[in-house]
Amino acid sequence: MKGYTGKILFVNLTTGHIEERTIPDQVYEMLLSGVGLGAYVLYNEIPAGADPLGPDNVLGFTSGLLTGTGSLMTGRWMVVCKSPLTGGWGDANCGGYFAPAIKQCGYDGIFFTGIAEKPVYLLVNNKGPQLKDASHVWGKDATESEEILIAENTVKKKPAVAVIGTAGEKVSLIAGVCHDRGRIAARSGVGAVMGSKRLKAVVLAGSKPIKCHDPQAVKEISQAFAGKVRKQNLPGIVKGGFLPVMGKVMGSMKRVAPLDGMLFASLMKKWGTPMSNGMSATSGDTPIKNWAGSVKDYNRSYYSKINADHVIKREYRKYHCYSCVVGCGGVCNISDIGQGKFTHTHKPEYETCAVFGPLLMNRNLESIFYINELLNRAGMDSISAGHAVAFAMECYEKGLITREDTGGLELTWGNAGAIIKLVEMMIAREGFGDVLADGVKAAARKLGRGTDKYAIHAGGQEPGAHDSRFDPMMGVHYSVDPTPGRHTIGASQYYNMTRLWEKVSWAPAVKIYPKDEEYMATDREALKSVAGACYKQIVDGIGGCLFAQITGVQHWQAFEWLNAATGWNKTPDEYMLIGKRMQTLRQLFNIKHGIDPRTFKMHRRMAGDPPLKEGPLKGRQVPIDAMMKLHWKHFGWDENTGVPLPETVQELGLDQLLQKG
Amino acid sequence: MARGEVIIDYQICMGCGICVQACPFSYLELSRYGNDPYKRLYPELEADHGCTGCGICAKECPLECITARKKDEKKDVPLS
Ligand code: SF4
Ligand code: SF4
Ligand code: SF4
Repeated sequence: MKGYTGKILFVNLTTGHIEERTIPDQVYEMLLSGVGLGAYVLYNEIPAGADPLGPDNVLGFTSGLLTGTGSLMTGRWMVVCKSPLTGGWGDANCGGYFAPAIKQCGYDGIFFTGIAEKPVYLLVNNKGPQLKDASHVWGKDATESEEILIAENTVKKKPAVAVIGTAGEKVSLIAGVCHDRGRIAARSGVGAVMGSKRLKAVVLAGSKPIKCHDPQAVKEISQAFAGKVRKQNLPGIVKGGFLPVMGKVMGSMKRVAPLDGMLFASLMKKWGTPMSNGMSATSGDTPIKNWAGSVKDYNRSYYSKINADHVIKREYRKYHCYSCVVGCGGVCNISDIGQGKFTHTHKPEYETCAVFGPLLMNRNLESIFYINELLNRAGMDSISAGHAVAFAMECYEKGLITREDTGGLELTWGNAGAIIKLVEMMIAREGFGDVLADGVKAAARKLGRGTDKYAIHAGGQEPGAHDSRFDPMMGVHYSVDPTPGRHTIGASQYYNMTRLWEKVSWAPAVKIYPKDEEYMATDREALKSVAGACYKQIVDGIGGCLFAQITGVQHWQAFEWLNAATGWNKTPDEYMLIGKRMQTLRQLFNIKHGIDPRTFKMHRRMAGDPPLKEGPLKGRQVPIDAMMKLHWKHFGWDENTGVPLPETVQELGLDQLLQKG
Repeated sequence: MARGEVIIDYQICMGCGICVQACPFSYLELSRYGNDPYKRLYPELEADHGCTGCGICAKECPLECITARKKDEKKDVPLS
């Protein structure tokens, strides 16, 4: 009764064999659940050098340790596998209702190996697990498939479904896994792995209770947090027009002051992530024109068209993931767009708006709503897809590809009609769309002609829409994380709001400091990025939401919830050691699979090489090589190669844990 | 006829959906707009529910704002 079930389900799709396995308590104490449990299973199960799209790859769905314990904003689930996009550790994270459903079936994780002969789905209910034929939904989009599978399998409890769309079926390397009509575990190409296994869906309808050590103590912490979120509201006079102005101020600040992260909750309650649409365009946070432009290009006549107030005009209800009291999500009416092909869509996230807006010089917000629904149904990662289109547009501009390549499409910046068409072609793997459907690195390889210069990625994965020249620590994580190119691992902005120093003895405290310091490779900055990465592992081990994390450890009390749920009584420093162990294990996974961590360094343009000539990031350069070295050093990894040092592996007890596996 | 029902204090509820996922029969749904300015949805029993008054949802609500009761007994099920 420590919040976890201590059991996983292991399904061999080749043989149809399904078995329950017990996971020793020690694994949870050393790696938590979620991504940590996933790393433990995958490190031991996947042989070195396994083909990510072959039968030896293992695809896992894990819940968080705190999911379902009565804690708040801990309802996110993880998909883990060896990534076909990077060749190394892969994971992706999603909200909705699937995480508690895993536990209500009696498991902390469900893992798949092998390849099914025909399309199948796994159904788990109170009677147990069974593989079922999925040929009737194969070929259908994720939303339609989900509706059919729910209708077919509702006996008492309505099931929660994780499902691939057609992008996953077609093994697009930028495919994700969908849930709840358009939430998506998008990154690392997890949908391609699911498609390669001919696993269409996982359908969960269990109703077992989730038990923890001291539910009343968990509730008390939840009530304190909920009370603060409830009170946190923006004054009525604050309208959408305020956001680009705030961005401008942020972009021109010479000094940075850490804010109370609860302020962020009020923005999220009102607008959700599109609050950043106008704000990040003006601050320098949003990459523009395939990372080569600035707000001088994507000026007011552009960003004002995609600003948050326009987005939420279409929102008719909020959407909360399981156990969330903020509710950054929303559902929007789009029945007037695209001849009424779709009635509604999940509110497009900032990332989607940014990569299909500023990154492409597109100011047609309706096209972004439409593409959002296309991608959500196909199950394709919008971040990677947007970067693939940006890559094509820059190649087109530079004359490296022509209308002959594109099948007649005029890929000029901001051409919304052409963007939609290209996305449709990518989803269908049709013509030039097939070239882009596996992400920018593969596209440049297929095209040759020197196009790799414009393929913006880190280690094969397209980066999030947060500019590393605006927040260099973001760039460090783009380059050093075992899943490179991820915007959710760490950044100065996150660090300053998370306020780890209030609880963790070694996390450097932040007061007001000169912005220039963020651009220096110093031990202090490295310690901050290390602390951020360790804490993010904990968050991914408990099923936490990044937006809860950045309200700050004084509000969203993950350490305290963990102690109440498990009875472990560990200190924050001890939990951070778990985070370090989890991150080191993910890195060891990459080493086992032959990844050279140095090759994950982000594209030079992302480090300001050459520097931008205009805008708030003018002249900004990031000493990324030196920063990566220092980050590795403070992690106890070889500062020259990024390989975890033997003494670190030993200190963390990973040598023993992995031998036992 | 349903044997039970739930009473939700919407002054406290924040629409987190834990109760919805907890109900073994999926009788609760997020379908009711509240008084907040955000267009949030709050839980309520679906139209043709068969609530048993079992109290599982009430036990799991972290904000302790649902009471479940069996109709015939007209008696509240203790929260936990
Ligand atoms: S803040 Fe948004 S993403 Fe995070 S749990 Fe809540 S609804 Fe989900
Ligand atoms: S669990 Fe409680 S707070 Fe959450 S939606 Fe249900 S009644 Fe409201
Ligand atoms: S009392 Fe029981 S049956 Fe009724 S809504 Fe709650 S959990 Fe469902």
